[in-house]
Amino acid sequence: MAKAKMLTGCRASAEGAKAAEVEVICSFPIRPYTAIMMELAKMVANGELNAEFIHGEGEHAQLSVVLGACAAGARAFTGSSGVGVTYAMEIYSPMAGGRYPAQMAIADRTLDPPGDFGSEHTDAMCTRDNGWLLGWACSPQEVYDNTLIAYRVGEDHRVMLPQMVCQDGYFISHIPDKVVLGEQSQVKEFLPPYRPISPLSLTHPVSHGPQIRPDQGAPMDAQRAQTFLAVPKVIEEATADFGRIFGRNYDPFVEQYKLADAEIAFFIMGAHANTARAAVDRLRKQGVKVGMARLRWVRPWPTHQLAAALGHVKAIGVVETSTSYGGAMRGGNLIHELRASLYDLDDRPLVTSFMGGLGGETIWPADFDHMAKVLTQAVKEKKVRNYVQWLGM
Amino acid sequence: MAKELPGYGTIDVPKDRVVPFGAVTPAPVCVQNMFQTSNWRIVRPVKDDEKCTRCLICYLSCPDACWVYKEEEDVMEWVNNFCKGCQICIQECPSGALTAAPELDFPDGVVRLDKPF
Ligand code: SF4
Ligand code: SF4
Repeated sequence: MAKAKMLTGCRASAEGAKAAEVEVICSFPIRPYTAIMMELAKMVANGELNAEFIHGEGEHAQLSVVLGACAAGARAFTGSSGVGVTYAMEIYSPMAGGRYPAQMAIADRTLDPPGDFGSEHTDAMCTRDNGWLLGWACSPQEVYDNTLIAYRVGEDHRVMLPQMVCQDGYFISHIPDKVVLGEQSQVKEFLPPYRPISPLSLTHPVSHGPQIRPDQGAPMDAQRAQTFLAVPKVIEEATADFGRIFGRNYDPFVEQYKLADAEIAFFIMGAHANTARAAVDRLRKQGVKVGMARLRWVRPWPTHQLAAALGHVKAIGVVETSTSYGGAMRGGNLIHELRASLYDLDDRPLVTSFMGGLGGETIWPADFDHMAKVLTQAVKEKKVRNYVQWLGM
Repeated sequence: MAKELPGYGTIDVPKDRVVPFGAVTPAPVCVQNMFQTSNWRIVRPVKDDEKCTRCLICYLSCPDACWVYKEEEDVMEWVNNFCKGCQICIQECPSGALTAAPELDFPDGVVRLDKPF
């Protein structure tokens, strides 16, 4: 097996795009994701990667460029952070509706105001209902792996959807960690070339993005929803194939850490899962029966897989890392969907949420100790006192 | 987990309502009379053939392909049915050959509409 290198998440993302032999890249600077484009620009300039590198005049343009590139039949790659992600908002739905399987690398950043460079998942979470595949990595290695897995799933003809491969800004994007890059032969075996379905063509002219009538809108929506019913199986196949070829095995949807006999659990995604794992180990030494479930894909949301993984747990603390001001639980977004996923269980777990890791703050080991205390208390009292609590406030 | 949870059901779009994949359709490669845009117009470009140099910039800049060069007569021909009056050609024409003429111009300058349209 190839030797591990110390790479940041940004470098790992660029290495993933290079391994996927992306043909069109569109950049616009915003930190922290900018480093991905810097790495790719170097690769293109040095002749290591044969791609068209286009400087967009903003994120809206970036997404428009990759949409066009995809329509012309190219494997396309772009990315952004924070308000850059939201600036491109108009293009997300047409891109998914038009079935352009381009990829966007996100290194999370808090939304303004005021300008805050720190990581928070709210940027990409805002896009979650636009029909993209959306998932988070928790290490540079997983960023590299997800880049390849997401292209494979998105370009599958049963799917044909754009993908957002997210990593926490700084915690993942700028802290080097061990990454094993794939051999070219492994990538070739895993990721077939992009085969567009109806590309723009001079010999077979087609119209992309036409105006449709209102009575065509509902069937169009239904067909998009239908596609999402087929996506989980494709993700399972691709993740299994990835494990077979590269020797790195992931649970396709939910990493389950010491959950089997757990009474309480943290539900989390992204970088802070690394601290959570360590906290679980430490708390277990103190006799607390705690585990962790780490979400890998927000879209498609793995409803049944979560019910199966967490159904037996007595109390769950959702570590949010994103905001949903005024939402049902007044916390983040994850708790809504997790509670909904568990609702039909006869003996459903108690669920509360912890607002942490916002604005780029670290979630400290002591925060996990506190969460475990709140959850243990909830188990004892057979209820959660509050739907939401803000860590350190 | 003993209990079986609800599923997502199936979605069956009736055959006659199925929309082409990604709404991509074969390009018509002909005039689409169903999609006339001339009724959006409040002004239209009017050409002065004395000033027009046949540079074809209007042909290049019209988003709706409403300027056509007629080779035999050596003139630019305007396509009334699809010109939506955006005036891009008027802005772009380097010779000042195009001017905007209001669609509803009355001699006293006042537009009279009995009914709103
Ligand atoms: S841009 Fe103006 S000068 Fe050029 S062909 Fe058109 S009308 Fe004539
Ligand atoms: S006004 Fe607009 S639509 Fe009409 S001919 Fe000029 S550029 Fe074309």
